[in-house]
Amino acid sequence: MERRHHSQSHSQRQQRRNHFSSSSSSSSNQSRSNNRFSFPKSSSSSSSSSANDVRDRRRETQEEKQEEAIVGTCPFMCPEAERLQRQRLRDLAVFERLHGDPRNSSPALAVKKFCRTMSAKEVRASDVRPLPVLEETLNYLLSLLDSTEHPFEVIHDFVFDRTRSVRQDLIMQNIVNDKAINMFEKIVKFHVISHHKLRSSCSSSSISPLHYLNLEQLTKALTSLYNLYEANRSSKPIHEKEAEFRSFYVLLHLDSNGQPVGESLSLWFRHVPSPIIKSKEMWFARQALRYFQMGNYRRFLSTVAAEASYLQYCIIEPYIDEVRSLALCCIHNCCYKLHPYPLGHLSKVLMMEESDVELFCNAYGLQTCIDEVGNKLLPTKQTTFCRPKGGLQNYSFLGFQQLGSHMLSSLFYNHFLLVPMKPFSHVDGWN
Amino acid sequence: MKVFGVLAGKGSKRVGALYLTCQLFKIYFKLGTVHLCRSVIRSIETARIFDFEEFPKRDKVTYMYYTGRLEVFNENFPAADQKLSYALINCNPQSEANIRMILKYLIPVKLSIGILPKDWLLEKYNLVEYSNIVQALRRGDLRLLRHALEEHEDQFLRSGVYLVLEKLELQVYQRLFKKIYIIQKQKDPSKAHQMKLDVIVKALKWLEMDMDVDEVECIVAILIHKNLVKGYFAHKSKVVVLSKQDPFPKLNGKPVNS
Repeated sequence: MERRHHSQSHSQRQQRRNHFSSSSSSSSNQSRSNNRFSFPKSSSSSSSSSANDVRDRRRETQEEKQEEAIVGTCPFMCPEAERLQRQRLRDLAVFERLHGDPRNSSPALAVKKFCRTMSAKEVRASDVRPLPVLEETLNYLLSLLDSTEHPFEVIHDFVFDRTRSVRQDLIMQNIVNDKAINMFEKIVKFHVISHHKLRSSCSSSSISPLHYLNLEQLTKALTSLYNLYEANRSSKPIHEKEAEFRSFYVLLHLDSNGQPVGESLSLWFRHVPSPIIKSKEMWFARQALRYFQMGNYRRFLSTVAAEASYLQYCIIEPYIDEVRSLALCCIHNCCYKLHPYPLGHLSKVLMMEESDVELFCNAYGLQTCIDEVGNKLLPTKQTTFCRPKGGLQNYSFLGFQQLGSHMLSSLFYNHFLLVPMKPFSHVDGWN
Repeated sequence: MKVFGVLAGKGSKRVGALYLTCQLFKIYFKLGTVHLCRSVIRSIETARIFDFEEFPKRDKVTYMYYTGRLEVFNENFPAADQKLSYALINCNPQSEANIRMILKYLIPVKLSIGILPKDWLLEKYNLVEYSNIVQALRRGDLRLLRHALEEHEDQFLRSGVYLVLEKLELQVYQRLFKKIYIIQKQKDPSKAHQMKLDVIVKALKWLEMDMDVDEVECIVAILIHKNLVKGYFAHKSKVVVLSKQDPFPKLNGKPVNS
């Protein structure tokens, strides 16, 4: 009974195996059965063969124990051994330093670093944090997002790495319940916010490595989250936030010609449950997709302004620039030369402040002019039209307010939650 | 996969490789792990040990059917057209079920490159879910297209052709504008090439589509940009001026360019 459960290709199980660098569940099943049969079966007396049987059975349960999830016992955000070692090696992040001292940390500050595990056998239970500890760790990490002492890249780097370790601990222990879903949702939110904030800080048109790596982990965390939703389908048919998190996948893949990160949308839609497809959030995402693919810039921009949630906006932001670019291109190339396009109207079309519109046109090598009454106009079919060489700066988006950085952590809590200042005040005896 | 490796090596058994590939495809599609097809395809198409023409016809048809479907999902229409057409042409004319399966994916592809199936084809193979869509394309009836998509939404989403069909909207717009142009030409040939945006708004209203002038201007600009309409628009006078020659170019077997 137990064995059958273990040999099912549970998706969580597959992910855990990926961590432990084994190829597929079928091959590890094979090796397991091979191990079983590789023990010599004595053919002599019945007593020795029964002893062998007992030995084989004991080995089988040991192997099963290895396949069973580890239950972590580490009571701190960072295993003691790791903290002491990193203190010695001066490998402490800025947030982990006690009074800024690079050689000293404390259980309240040190957080377990992400590290690829080589094999399941080497992981000790004392190095893995149980669920309650992981929850508090995550809450602590997310509270750092409000910090104004450090530039966002520094905060991001730390939270990025430490949440990755949290995810790893969750998967290693095969925690697939509601609480895991809650945590993965928060982690995805973090990556989405970073996706937005890292983009605005990088100046060149090429995506910075930090931004790219963040997108990579965003996709991985999102995929894990979808697997969790599926795994919990029998106990809870649809989670309350599932629709919004599913919509993120669509919004990440608006551009079918771009780098395909995972399944194509046509394939992906095939196994989305029907109630999700009919949800408000998914409806928005599909509308955005439709308008984007058709090139209907007017509807795309106005719909996003009217209906996108903050997180959806963060994801869709790069496409907003692309659509505005398309709009400018169309208007510039297809409009009658003797009727310059009023900037006021262009501002409405692009959903941009009029002052920004002028800068936007200039970035494309276009000059604006003024008519007798003082209205600003864009003459069309200029020969100097060209794509901007560097990246585009950040332009306003009408009808949308940027969230202040001090309010970021409020995105993670739907109801009023007291975040303890010292997460482990109940643990005694630390310096 | 082990069997696949064995077949690749031995001489006489190579012939079975494609059959096995197709079985793998069926499994991957059923399991939902379609991305695993890629490595199998690579070994068939790049390995010099396989000569595609050697394989039995039945396997070639099945192979082209599955790879054609993959091209549809990735929206590579010319490739999808080539593969699915091959499958259709070489398919046993007696096996109606198989022909139906091929057509289910070939029709959206053909529609995307501007080729419409005849009504008897849809009826014969029981693909009536496409009839309204074809009708909408013929008439420039935007309302009918949207209605047809909504009516069969679940079915189209499950088969994975929904997004392909959604994109046909631009062609429907083109057809609608062409009809308005033809009517105008009948009334007054000298002025037919100028189309007021308000007229388009009125036509759309008649189709129960609520669009303001700004959005119509946007659609017009996009159609011109994608070469579905030849001409330009004048913002102040809110008019589209169409080219005197071939203002509504046909797709000619190519998908709408972006």
